[in-house]
Amino acid sequence: MNKILTLFKREYRAAVRTKSFIISLLLVPIMMGGGIAAMLIMENKKETEDKTFVVVDYSGLMAEPLRAALELRNQNEIFDPETGEKVNSAYRVEFVEPSEDLMTQQRELSERVQSAELHAFIEIGPDILHPSKDSESYLRYYSEHAFGDDMRYWFRTIINDQLRLLRVTELNLEAEQTADLFHWLEVDGMGLVTVDKKTGEQQKAEKSNELQSFLVPYVIMILMFMLVMMSAVPLLTSVMEEKSEKIAEVLLGSITPFQFMMGKVLGGIGVSLTTAAIYVSAAIFTLKYMGYESLIPYDVLPWFFVYTIFFIIMVGSGMASLGATANDSKDAQSLTFPGIIPVILPMFVMVPVIQDPSGPLATTMSLIPPFTPTIMMIRLATPVTVPLWQPIVGLLGVILFTIFTVWIGARVFRTAILIQGQKPTIGNLIKYAFKN
Amino acid sequence: MNIIELSGVTKTFGSVVAVDDLSLKVPKGSIYGFIGPNGSGKTTSIRMIMKIMYPDKGQLLINGHEHDSQRLRNVGYLPEDRGLYKKMKLGDLLLFHGELNEGKDLKKWIDYWLDRLDLMEYKEKKVETLSKGMKQKLQFIATILHQPELIILDEPFSGLDPINADLLKDVILELQKKGTTIIFSTHDMSMAEKMCDYIFMIYQGKKVLDGTLTDIQGQYGNDTLQIQSEMGISALEGIAGIEKVNDFGKLQEVRVSSGSDPQQILIELLKKTRISRFEITKPSLNDIFIRIASPERKEAHHE
Repeated sequence: MNKILTLFKREYRAAVRTKSFIISLLLVPIMMGGGIAAMLIMENKKETEDKTFVVVDYSGLMAEPLRAALELRNQNEIFDPETGEKVNSAYRVEFVEPSEDLMTQQRELSERVQSAELHAFIEIGPDILHPSKDSESYLRYYSEHAFGDDMRYWFRTIINDQLRLLRVTELNLEAEQTADLFHWLEVDGMGLVTVDKKTGEQQKAEKSNELQSFLVPYVIMILMFMLVMMSAVPLLTSVMEEKSEKIAEVLLGSITPFQFMMGKVLGGIGVSLTTAAIYVSAAIFTLKYMGYESLIPYDVLPWFFVYTIFFIIMVGSGMASLGATANDSKDAQSLTFPGIIPVILPMFVMVPVIQDPSGPLATTMSLIPPFTPTIMMIRLATPVTVPLWQPIVGLLGVILFTIFTVWIGARVFRTAILIQGQKPTIGNLIKYAFKN
Repeated sequence: MNIIELSGVTKTFGSVVAVDDLSLKVPKGSIYGFIGPNGSGKTTSIRMIMKIMYPDKGQLLINGHEHDSQRLRNVGYLPEDRGLYKKMKLGDLLLFHGELNEGKDLKKWIDYWLDRLDLMEYKEKKVETLSKGMKQKLQFIATILHQPELIILDEPFSGLDPINADLLKDVILELQKKGTTIIFSTHDMSMAEKMCDYIFMIYQGKKVLDGTLTDIQGQYGNDTLQIQSEMGISALEGIAGIEKVNDFGKLQEVRVSSGSDPQQILIELLKKTRISRFEITKPSLNDIFIRIASPERKEAHHE
């Protein structure tokens, strides 16, 4: 054990004392913080350039209402009433008579948009008031980038409101009578009512926070992914280098291959836990400071650390043994992908698992050992109650599977580390693992 | 008392028999030289002694015991293929190796050996700043730092200049005087002749020589002549009873064919030229090595 600790100390120091570790440690929060800051800055610096639209109204119904709505908007929403600063773009609209030659008109208008004279042009179909199966009831918004253009929605709202008004008027109803005709209700997502264990008081159910439901599992998953990628995955190249630079042979005079492998894996865990401790405490401090303490999932943090440690041992011993079979960086590159499948695959099912944490996909995958650490953590981090037996059984499975990967990894490692020049084929790997 | 005893040890890799039925006894406190051509099984034998590899057959005793899969305590091992962590400082690196080998008073010994091998001024420098020879000396310190009772050195002199090779030789002899057993493999026959109490030669996986230099040379008898003459090698042309000539320019080493009389050769030579040196001697280790592992012998071996 002392020898494993000696190797662990060296590995840990070698990793933590490097400039790249310190830089990457600082870079992640700086990039994340920078990204958020950039978003906030950009949000305040909205585009305020005026925009001109052309409306080709085949229905003949929309000219007046659009003009009125635009005038209202341009009066009230363009300038900040307190500072007088321009905060929004003013819209100008130009009505163009529908032409017989539709193709030519559309082309000319498109050219005007291309030359930036117009922002977009809109075609309003003739039968929009009473659409039927074969009628021409359409609203078409032509612009360079219609997909992300918020203006589409502004026109949609104004035109649909006007259509409702016209339809209601046709029914001889007063607009006031129909004010709530289209009132739309949302369903509030609520958490469950709980009882405080200490006081016995019933706690009111809280509105469930969409952001929390998604963000917390997402962040936990990304953090775990990052920790494994920075500690376990580099073991492949590091062992490969020690093999090709003949450091391994020297060390094997003093330690067994198993001690060698475990020393390196423990070094990886040390690096990860250092990073995790820094990030988690920084996140807790920041969230508390910003008043979002409720977002911190204190109850899942112990699970997070336990699962992360076993996940690193599991992936790390696999990576170290694959590294021992590699002869050069080319071999190492081709072996990296199969090694990180347990880390990458859960990323693909992350969204469905977050959406339905108790569904069959989430439950099954969270009990398959290589995927348990990530998928179980996502489930635990969602507001849904996961039956307690599941993380426990999952952990037992992870422990057994980790023992298996360490055992098989050590067998491959001890043989492969001294063999030069043999390609790391599947056949060779099986031979190293099961033949004496 | 033997520190190492191998009996009937065999190791195969696929269809290749790397070490074939090897038996060997290394007495405590001796210097034992392992010689043999490249690929003959030296490193495999050493790796088996170090328990880095396991024999397929045979028994291996260290200090009279079959040791388990744990690493040997009190053994220092300098492999032929050796590497060091380039980014570590010399002092830290030695401490790391010393701790791995469970050495005591490491700091004291680190300073002692760095000073002894002229590396003290580099103690706080990184390994990557050292020359090849310096790295080799550093590697040697890492091997002996924990004061092992058995030291196994695979090609310790390769890449060293004569001054450093001499320094290393002195240290090895010094360690032997303190009771340490030393096994080293080498291609430098003169070093093996001068330093080793026992010499063991392995060829194509089999033991072909084992014993003191005198014993080994005794097996070949006084069949070698060292001749210096005015005519050089041309004086030897056409003289009967010569099996092989190894020409060193100023000196010719002649192997006398069995049954021939060296005196007769001398008489023939004197008829042709003036002789400044004529010595009847035992074959050198180098010559014995070549006799065993020469290409002709190899061909004969395969036929």
